[in-house]
Amino acid sequence: MKKIAKSQLSKMLSMLSAEAKLYVPVASDGVVNFAPWQEDVEVDLTTINVFVPPKKFFFPQTEAVLRYDISDELEIEDFACKAGDKTILFGVRPCDVSSFAMMDKVYLGDPVDIAYRQRRENTTVIAMGCKSPDETCFCTSFDLEPGKAPGADVLATDTGEEIVLSAQTTKGEELLTQLNGLIQEATSGDENKVKDAQEQAKEGYTTSVNVQGVMEKLDGMFEDFYWDRLHKRCIACGTCTFVCPTCHCFDMQEYSTGSRGERIRCWDSCMYSDFTLMGHGHNPRPTQKERVRQRFMHKLNYFPHQHGDYACVGCGRCVRKCPVNLDILEVIQEIGGAAGGM
Amino acid sequence: MSVNLESHEPLIVAFCCNWCSYAGADLAGTSRMSYPTNVRIVRVPCSSRVNPSFIIRAFQRGADGVLIAGCHPGDCHYHSGNYYTRRRFTVLKRMLEYMGIEPERFQVRWISGSEGAKFAGVMNEITQEIKALGPNRKLRDVR
Amino acid sequence: MKECSEKMRKVASDALQKQEVTAVLGWRKKDFWWQSPVAFIESVDDVDQLVWDPFTVFNPVKYLLEDYDCHDKVGIFVKGCDSRGINRLIQDKRLDRDRVVVYGVPCEGKADADKIRASFASKKIKKVTIDGDSLIIDVDGKEERVAAEEYLLDKCLTCRYPNPVVSDKLIWEEVPVRKGVNEARFARIDNMEKKELEERFSYWSRQMDRCIRCFACRNTCPACNCRVCIFDQAEPRWLGKANDMGDTLNYHIIRAFHVAGRCFECGECERICPAGIPLQELNRKLIKDLDEFFGEYEAGLDPEDNPPLGTYRGEDPAGFDES
Repeated sequence: MKKIAKSQLSKMLSMLSAEAKLYVPVASDGVVNFAPWQEDVEVDLTTINVFVPPKKFFFPQTEAVLRYDISDELEIEDFACKAGDKTILFGVRPCDVSSFAMMDKVYLGDPVDIAYRQRRENTTVIAMGCKSPDETCFCTSFDLEPGKAPGADVLATDTGEEIVLSAQTTKGEELLTQLNGLIQEATSGDENKVKDAQEQAKEGYTTSVNVQGVMEKLDGMFEDFYWDRLHKRCIACGTCTFVCPTCHCFDMQEYSTGSRGERIRCWDSCMYSDFTLMGHGHNPRPTQKERVRQRFMHKLNYFPHQHGDYACVGCGRCVRKCPVNLDILEVIQEIGGAAGGM
Repeated sequence: MSVNLESHEPLIVAFCCNWCSYAGADLAGTSRMSYPTNVRIVRVPCSSRVNPSFIIRAFQRGADGVLIAGCHPGDCHYHSGNYYTRRRFTVLKRMLEYMGIEPERFQVRWISGSEGAKFAGVMNEITQEIKALGPNRKLRDVR
Repeated sequence: MKECSEKMRKVASDALQKQEVTAVLGWRKKDFWWQSPVAFIESVDDVDQLVWDPFTVFNPVKYLLEDYDCHDKVGIFVKGCDSRGINRLIQDKRLDRDRVVVYGVPCEGKADADKIRASFASKKIKKVTIDGDSLIIDVDGKEERVAAEEYLLDKCLTCRYPNPVVSDKLIWEEVPVRKGVNEARFARIDNMEKKELEERFSYWSRQMDRCIRCFACRNTCPACNCRVCIFDQAEPRWLGKANDMGDTLNYHIIRAFHVAGRCFECGECERICPAGIPLQELNRKLIKDLDEFFGEYEAGLDPEDNPPLGTYRGEDPAGFDES
């Protein structure tokens, strides 16, 4: 375990940015997003949920997968194997870290998504343990510990004046070795402080849901009247899907100028009317009811059946951002029927 | 698409009304007046046929300037189309400027079927202006 | 506030009982203090859900379109801003006036949850209610009284129509229009116009860079009521799905232009934008120019007239070289 004084943080980030592309949470016009680190940016260490979740570093909203040019002779450039410069993410929250594991199940399962794997391998994740929850945080309902981030390469814990860094993978160890000379060895006192901070982080949750049995209950609910009622409020925007750290659906689009073009992969949302629109005009999900049902069935039934986990990490972004307050918290509560305190 | 700055020849898309401005272009041609080859004409039935999306899409796909040319007010083949053109593109033009797009890039002119010389003149003038501005980067697709 | 909720419930339950309407749209309370989503009341048993509180801000008008086709007659509670949406839909021939019973609820402005959160950072807020001109905030188990004025939504600070412009029944007395709203209306636009071209572009590209293309601004807007939106059309595809600057600017320019002369300044687009893009600055720029060139016009007041881009005069001025 290592540590660094907060006053030295920018020195550390500067060192890291020399080796790789470094992204940190930064507030701009009141919205916090991961942005490239620069000497003069102020790193936001307090905001829990950045607006666009860090899944975008492995699964970008828009990426060209191939480019062609037929103006002379046919040339095709394949991007899949070129993806992924060396990247470091600093300040990823534990909920978002655990979302990476879910994305891995999809993109590293058979067939492996080469570009995704490349990015994943070339990226070192430095997680930042949470100190206290937002009112919409409910990660503990999914058995996540807000102070720990098992999937991260390095776990950073804010202990007040200092940040304690512990490597959790070989990639993380290598990264800390790079920083030798700048960071110090943590003492046993620091280790205790980290433990205290991790315990402390579990306090203060005001939102929780009981996810027990929700998947099983949904098995028989495909034709339930519940969806007829639920979808009415949905205005069919894609906010929930785009701010969700575990949503991973995409669309392939062709961009063409006649002689040149690109094939582009971009995020898609099951809330959109053209999401399942077929070439011949039929749409198997003709109304918002089927679309809303799809989103929640996917997260709470199909995904756990297929991969063993609910596709939700309890970050609370959709709870905060949904313009009509239709969110997964409500669905879990209403379906599970056994809600925790609110 | 990459833009070669050294030898940049601007691309200008001109939406010309079939009844006046396109005839004006024809007259310019038959009168052997020359105007730059940078201009590509798209013939439309009326200047009010031009959907704002056409303009933005033209910029996206590589146009450095867009011109809409229609009949003079009062001369519309369909009686009132160009009056709508005038209202619409007055506000669209101002909005593009407001968002930081150079005003020269998007222009509207009235050119009648008998104004071959004016057509050639306007094309020369606009090409000069756009050349001076250089390539459009702001609305262009970065691909 | 409690009395207000009571009045709304009374009106709704009377109407449902007398079968004047078969459904009522209003607002209800959800789990969190800042959540007051739209309520769909279809039975007298449910009218107790209705509330009027500092967060009943969502404009329910657009729900009259598709979802409520199954009802012959729908009652709807509308604030001043929402009410102009009713006229919007009627003018666009998307709503039959006879199909709705409009209950007008004059409104003194709604609270901005983000402003409240910022003032009480890292504290646990449980409940926020309004009492006269103060908000009572139940925070960390204590009640704090603050001036409601300071926590109003930005859009309410420039609201020129706090009272419904169309209603079959006014639920309570009209409220005065705030002072200085006319001056404040175009303040942000005037500021922006004074800036240099490149500065304006960098401002807008910075704002648009945050856009995630969720289309919430379009979907909540009563003026965006086309049966098939050009942006959803797959063939021909007018808007690329790739989220890059060209397409994002395309989207925002065309969206704003499409509501030019029809936007009635409810400000919902800007309020619900998850990325905080100042969309009203585009909408109002268009309104300002339309007013300046073609005469002042207020959208959403008279469902019978023509919006400024749907009409013309021979002597109109032009914003380009007419020589």
